[in-house]
Amino acid sequence: MSTLLLAASAESTTVRLTSQTRILAAILAVAFMLLILELIRRDRMQERYSVIWFVAGLGMLAGAAFPGLLKLVADAMGVRDTNVALFSIVLLLLLGLALNFSVIMSRQAAQITRLAQERAIERAKADQQAAKDGGGSPSGRGSA
Amino acid sequence: MGESAAVRTLVFIPAWNEEEPIAAVIADVRRHLPAADILVVDDGSTDATAARAREGGVPVASLPFNQGLGAALQTGYLYALREGYDFCAHLDADGQHPAAEVARLLAEVEADRADLVIGSRYHAAAGEAESDDYKPTLSRRIGTSVFRFFLTLATRQRFTDTTSGMRAANRRVMSLFSEHYSPDFAEIESLQLAVREGLRVEEVPVRMLERAGGSSFLTPLRSAFFIFKGVVVLVVGQFRPRHMEAGR
Repeated sequence: MSTLLLAASAESTTVRLTSQTRILAAILAVAFMLLILELIRRDRMQERYSVIWFVAGLGMLAGAAFPGLLKLVADAMGVRDTNVALFSIVLLLLLGLALNFSVIMSRQAAQITRLAQERAIERAKADQQAAKDGGGSPSGRGSA
Repeated sequence: MGESAAVRTLVFIPAWNEEEPIAAVIADVRRHLPAADILVVDDGSTDATAARAREGGVPVASLPFNQGLGAALQTGYLYALREGYDFCAHLDADGQHPAAEVARLLAEVEADRADLVIGSRYHAAAGEAESDDYKPTLSRRIGTSVFRFFLTLATRQRFTDTTSGMRAANRRVMSLFSEHYSPDFAEIESLQLAVREGLRVEEVPVRMLERAGGSSFLTPLRSAFFIFKGVVVLVVGQFRPRHMEAGR
């Protein structure tokens, strides 16, 4: 087992992607981008949120087409094992995306709250108006 | 409707599924604060809270879905600000807060002794001793002292009842709270915010009643999480930018 590990680490200075994995990765990348396209087409996703996913898909495709790129990035990071470099990059990207969504979610939650408040205030004003007009008889007003 | 005085006061009551006590609370406010307008903020109740309040002849600001106490309180402050009220106060809808005590809080802001007045169920005069009317549970006591400690640290001002939902405020507070009010940790963060913005915040000891029905929602685990969340909110709050430095 240990010799196997040693052999792997010694070998890992070169990128070892078989053409099979590269083809698979390329197909996955293309399928992924088609899925994004379909989601936009069916109004399930807005264009502005799709850009980042297309970038991710193109990155996948680039990695599959030119495995040397990955090696370049790994060297730039000072990481010997390209697999570790790949996983770190993907992990960081996902972390960034999740954070981005939390920010978007918070903004939308604030907007929804304000919308609800505006609507509530309008209703209260309508109540007040009705009380002024009809002498305060609360008939015919449905309860929420 | 409006009494002879030019000063207009709004008392609002945030209510979430309080169909039982709401009518009595409204009547209590009417009795002790006859000159004030009343607004019930219905926080997406699924029972007849809104209908009961309307039957009582009170306008109801119904949030279309439950948004949490902070959002409900902010609705009241926003309404008071927009409708041009000079002062506002709020109290809980479950009948724990006597309206007579709210009147005392309002007197403080009307006399311009403070911008925001908090009704404290703990007798500040008697040190840490609690009033005879109110006996808190152990987890509540722990939470109270933790929040007290951190809020004192953050504001350099002594607060005894940091989570009190009985307050009175003037227009300065209305304009601040209608824009900046944490939806998650309304009571504590709002105190920190008000002090940071240079507002005069004051505590007045008040008498509160035991919760009429039902038990507190706080289990030990929930309490621990609640306390942790509160501490995080307070620490983060120290790094927030100030908004109205030229206010005073």
